[in-house]
Amino acid sequence: MSFHENDIPFEKRLKEEMDLWLEEGIISREQKERLLARYEVLEEADETAGPGRLITTISMLGAVLVGAGIVLFIASNWAEVPRWGKLLMIFSSMLTCYGLGFYFGYEKKNYPTVGGALIFLGSIIFGAGIFLIAQIYHIFVHYPHLPLLWGLGILPLAYLFRFNNVMALAIVDLLVWVGTEASFWIPESAYFGNIMPYITLFLMTGITLWTIGLMHRRFVSLRDLSGPYIVIGMLTAYSMAYVLTFDIFRAKLGAAELAPFYIGIVGLFIISGAYAFRPGKQEKAWVPEAVALTVLLLIALLLAFFFAGTSGNGHAQITGGMFNLMTFTANIVFAVIIIGTIILGYIRRYPPYINIGLLFFVLDVFARYFDFFWKLLPRSLFFIIGGLMLLIGGVILENKRKKVLASFHILENE
Amino acid sequence: MKRKFIIIVLFQVMILVGIIAYRQYWVATGARVLLSTESADPRDIFRGDYVTLNYEISSLNHTVLGTEEKFRPKEHIYVVLEKDPDNIYKAVSVSRTRPAAGKFIQGRAGDELELSKLEVLLQDDAGKRQSFSPRWFSGVDKGDRAIFCIGEKNTVLQFYKEEILNKPKCNTGKSISGVVVDIRETKTRQLRVDYGIESYFVEEGKGKAIEAARNAKSLNVEVSLRKDGKGIITGLFLDNKLLR
Repeated sequence: MSFHENDIPFEKRLKEEMDLWLEEGIISREQKERLLARYEVLEEADETAGPGRLITTISMLGAVLVGAGIVLFIASNWAEVPRWGKLLMIFSSMLTCYGLGFYFGYEKKNYPTVGGALIFLGSIIFGAGIFLIAQIYHIFVHYPHLPLLWGLGILPLAYLFRFNNVMALAIVDLLVWVGTEASFWIPESAYFGNIMPYITLFLMTGITLWTIGLMHRRFVSLRDLSGPYIVIGMLTAYSMAYVLTFDIFRAKLGAAELAPFYIGIVGLFIISGAYAFRPGKQEKAWVPEAVALTVLLLIALLLAFFFAGTSGNGHAQITGGMFNLMTFTANIVFAVIIIGTIILGYIRRYPPYINIGLLFFVLDVFARYFDFFWKLLPRSLFFIIGGLMLLIGGVILENKRKKVLASFHILENE
Repeated sequence: MKRKFIIIVLFQVMILVGIIAYRQYWVATGARVLLSTESADPRDIFRGDYVTLNYEISSLNHTVLGTEEKFRPKEHIYVVLEKDPDNIYKAVSVSRTRPAAGKFIQGRAGDELELSKLEVLLQDDAGKRQSFSPRWFSGVDKGDRAIFCIGEKNTVLQFYKEEILNKPKCNTGKSISGVVVDIRETKTRQLRVDYGIESYFVEEGKGKAIEAARNAKSLNVEVSLRKDGKGIITGLFLDNKLLR
């Protein structure tokens, strides 16, 4: 009998499963041994070959290092290498990586992981090439165009090969483009006024990326590529929402000059949302998710357009009133979305939601513990109430789980 | 699969070649102007392997700004250039709208500084009128008697109002007493402009020499101007010698 590489995880799962079968008396110990013997080759092969994930990680790290090396080499040997020589190096290294990557991964198919890493390296060199050419020819008139060209250039590659790492790189490039482009539009102003608009801008961008990810999940052919959108979108949106839980409601959080950005982002959100939540076979608990994403986007828009800042005269101390209400509300909203995301992750059995939710839960607890500015609630009370809410939530979830399992006639684990 | 892959890679190659072609077209069709540089803030002059260039036209003075027109930061503006006898282009006027003819460069408005210059005319006891430019002047009005303490290069170290019962003396400097005939304050403004040609990549180690030349004002930069006034650096001239 011949095996495929994909059978290795199956064998591991089978082993675990058979322990249960043995316990439940479905199979005897002897049968288990005989069954396992059938897959012995796989276990042996896995042990000698080394874990697959490790190979991927090593290949990727290798790709990044070689990429950085090529960039440094071209950038530092300024005097020695003539202009055409530098261009030749950029083009030849990029084409060699792509060529070898395709050959190993898709023509001969014997080194798919290394092939993928080489194609990823090719897309790094492509981006480095854009920046090096701009540097060689002193073209820095409007530098946000550089990350934009990079992102747009490698996006088709991500879609053709279903490469999550190339996809993630393209998304990060486009985020950098949004940020640098916005810096040309945001007017100069005092009191961090020219930093604040980024918070709402990236909050909206993150929410929209997340929704685009959900749209990808609805298409069978694009499902594999949803991960980078969802993870990067969530990380961006949550980081910005996290910033909003601090003492920052003093300056304006948006800029009228950024209106074209807001319109573009909201447009993308509406289109991707319409696809992500269209009738048909929906994901579990899609309604609260759709509502939460829309509400969050609306909050970001309201803050960007209508919040004028509570600081009247520079360093005046702000106590009570509107300012505290904003910070308080932001904290409540943030806590609700984090816990909601974790619950959604469990319901949908989608680990990124659980992991990112837990990450920001920990960050939030940390920040609130050390938060000297936020004196609305005595800290101890906040922690006790928060903890109680979680415990009660746990009891409710436990009960629900029992009922659900009972309805399927499944006994619980002791 | 293979065909699609080749098409995408060709697409990327085209992007890279496109950037070069675009630049070459710009240089070939653009108008060349020579701009002179000034010393820059020493704190961020030279970072890594590129030089920060600060042009004479990077800050526009009152005579160029002329009108009362205010420019918002980051606003697109057009600076009209004219050649001086040394072949260096100087700023002559600035506008929000694109000039119909002549050489002009497009930039973005930066911070506007308001500078004020005081001129106090004093008729001394000998009847001679002298003009001073103190940094500040208050408490003494037109027609009052005053005593000025004057340091080197005619700088006003101190001034006092002189009254019948109070005749102050200067601790340092030459003292001149007389009647204040006139107090004039002229306000000028200065606008910083960013043209997108403020950094230039150089060979490792060459930066220091260029930096020194720039500070000695012997560095000129050749810029190619596109039809819409956007500039791109095509060469650096150190003491009228092209740097490669």
